[in-house]
Amino acid sequence: MDEDVLTTLKILIIGESGVGKSSLLLRFTDDTFDPELAATIGVDFKVKTISVDGNKAKLAIWDTAGQERFRTLTPSYYRGAQGVILVYDVTRRDTFVKLDNWLNELETYCTRNDIVNMLVGNKIDKENREVDRNEGLKFARKHSMLFIEASAKTCDGVQCAFEELVEKIIQTPGLWESENQNKGVKLTHREEGQGGGACGGYCSVL
Amino acid sequence: MADNLPSEFDVVVIGTGLPESIIAAACSRSGQRVLHVDSRSYYGGNWASFSFSGLLSWLKEHQENSDIVNECPPWQEKILENEEAIALSRKDKTIQHVEVFCYARYEKYLFTINYVHDFLFTCLQKKPAVRIYMALVATSLLDMLKIDLVTKLLYSRGLLIDLLIKSNVSRYAEFKNITRILAFREGRVEQVPCSRADVFNSKQLTMVEKRMLMKFLTFCMEYEEHPDEYKAYEEITFYEYLKTQKLTPNLQYFVLHSIAMTSETASSTIDGLRATKNFLHCLGRYGNTPFLFPLYGQGELPQCFCRMCAVFGGIYCLRHLVQCLVVDKESGKCKAVIDQFGQRIISKHFLVEDSYFSENTCSHVQYRQISRAVLITDRSVLKTDSDQQISILTVPAEEPGAFAVRVIELCSSTMTCMKGTYLVHLTCTSSKTAREDLEPVVQKLFTPYTEKEIENEEVEKPRLLWALYFNMRDSSDVSRNSYNDLPSNVYVCSGPDCALGNDNAVKQAEALFQQICPNEDFCPPPPNPEDIILDGDSLQPEASESSAIPEANSETPRESANLRNPEEPSE
Repeated sequence: MDEDVLTTLKILIIGESGVGKSSLLLRFTDDTFDPELAATIGVDFKVKTISVDGNKAKLAIWDTAGQERFRTLTPSYYRGAQGVILVYDVTRRDTFVKLDNWLNELETYCTRNDIVNMLVGNKIDKENREVDRNEGLKFARKHSMLFIEASAKTCDGVQCAFEELVEKIIQTPGLWESENQNKGVKLTHREEGQGGGACGGYCSVL
Repeated sequence: MADNLPSEFDVVVIGTGLPESIIAAACSRSGQRVLHVDSRSYYGGNWASFSFSGLLSWLKEHQENSDIVNECPPWQEKILENEEAIALSRKDKTIQHVEVFCYARYEKYLFTINYVHDFLFTCLQKKPAVRIYMALVATSLLDMLKIDLVTKLLYSRGLLIDLLIKSNVSRYAEFKNITRILAFREGRVEQVPCSRADVFNSKQLTMVEKRMLMKFLTFCMEYEEHPDEYKAYEEITFYEYLKTQKLTPNLQYFVLHSIAMTSETASSTIDGLRATKNFLHCLGRYGNTPFLFPLYGQGELPQCFCRMCAVFGGIYCLRHLVQCLVVDKESGKCKAVIDQFGQRIISKHFLVEDSYFSENTCSHVQYRQISRAVLITDRSVLKTDSDQQISILTVPAEEPGAFAVRVIELCSSTMTCMKGTYLVHLTCTSSKTAREDLEPVVQKLFTPYTEKEIENEEVEKPRLLWALYFNMRDSSDVSRNSYNDLPSNVYVCSGPDCALGNDNAVKQAEALFQQICPNEDFCPPPPNPEDIILDGDSLQPEASESSAIPEANSETPRESANLRNPEEPSE
């Protein structure tokens, strides 16, 4: 681990199909935009380090892998997340209306209640807007979420959305400092050997 | 449902249990177009883990006999002249004899929420067969519970661990070590020393016993190289064989029941030696015992493979009923399915979990049953300084014809139960109903909670707050030929088996995958997203230079075992 990285955070991106979750992710991590980006395939999570107020944080940002398409995200997707970016499309009211469902889902599956949520109204570059900025703001206030409007296409607000989210997480120390308290074992090719050596000490080879 | 499903795939997988999920992941990884559906509202089928409210709806489903028949457009009219249909079952019949008991109404355990009340009330009124001693009152804290329908452990060098690592699916899950192996002997629970260090430090063994055990276990590690030492005993049981070795009865018991995990009659000498070696071989890889348990429960594992499948383009649909398989009369092959909306979905291969077949298809199939009990208790079966022990205990069968009972006790650090309580899983092969099979063991180990006892003198046994019993169908041993009239491109996956490990699921998945995609690699590692780490400070592309070497560079010496990406956020 880089010495100067303060913490590693798990960030989720959720929202209805086609609101531009993967586009926001790719714009933020790779600074690319593909207007033809097909329904999500092959994007698992992406990693990027950012500095906020002089603190370096490494973000692992998890995409939905398209499993939201038929409302079938796995509960395990939500485990251990510290921040959530909830996205709707400002040109499609139905994606705004469905936000309540997503909040329910978050409440059901998130393993902690102090998780930081950011509401993002995407595609503000488009002209046929159906959801007013104030509506988004109101909804975010009502549910104590951060709020920003953005466009993955023009890059507007994207960086800002992630920065603000991380800033808020870092200001909530319990959210990331306690990370080591109940650490599970991650599987690895390496031998662990913390349990009295491989084979419990019976292996004559070792 | 906003989106319509595409109407053509390469593989349609019905059921989201562990074997189905592994196959779905493997096929999707190999470039097949996969549709993965489950008629249930949750992932995992009989491999699922439930929160308390999730469990309540599950109970409702299996106790009330109401057929939840969705209004489906009839499929019969969609079958053409040159086609036949194999109707699938609409109701899961794999769970039987469900019984719930509630003993505690104690504020300390915060069982105070109305829906549980309401639910139990309905049960009392509607289903007298459900015996409930007291109303359980619960809070949402109960939703921290993750109640496994089947509880298995992962052998630290078992097939599933190998597969998780090889496929990188391991990045979606975290595990806890089982901390203790316990034995139940002469009415007492005691810890079994396993590793060399354990044996050495054990207070319950004499010096002589320690030497005997060390010597015997060291021999077991390499028994294959000394055939002369066991050849003469090949014809007898492992139990008899152990008696011929220089081991005290104490040690024989430990080796037979807790290390080889077999019984007096079940294993031959060779089987026993093999099991013992396997146990020892798995020791020390991740901890002091050979076993791991997934955080948040067994139900996480199918989901991890489902995610892998989705990452490679697999399409997921829960609450999605497949009404029938459509068979082409001429070729005898299955060519499509018809779903609950009457949509016809074409595919080349069809993978169906056993419970989805109708009685017509299964009329000749003989199933075994698994007896299960899930308990919530107030303390561990063997108290120690730490309240965060995860233990496995084998209680041998008492009468001939019965089966040994496997007890797995989980503490709150497994993220499956509340702090201050323990979640205890009992499993055995059924000879009767689950309660008849398991209640004797429950009574040996626990005492029902009653309010009076509170300030009594030291209660020795842990107190039982809540108990659930049920039987689950074990379809693992069913030969494909016993199903009636299955086309050759319809493959059958079994539900969970009774064994402790997950080897059966992995073997099954790999074998079926090889039939669907011959000569393809089974779950090769995907490119690692962490190989591309972008540095936000310097936006130049060559930032990758500082990051493309996560494997060598970023592993801190004492971070817990992490595959490639030690800093990946972990719970």
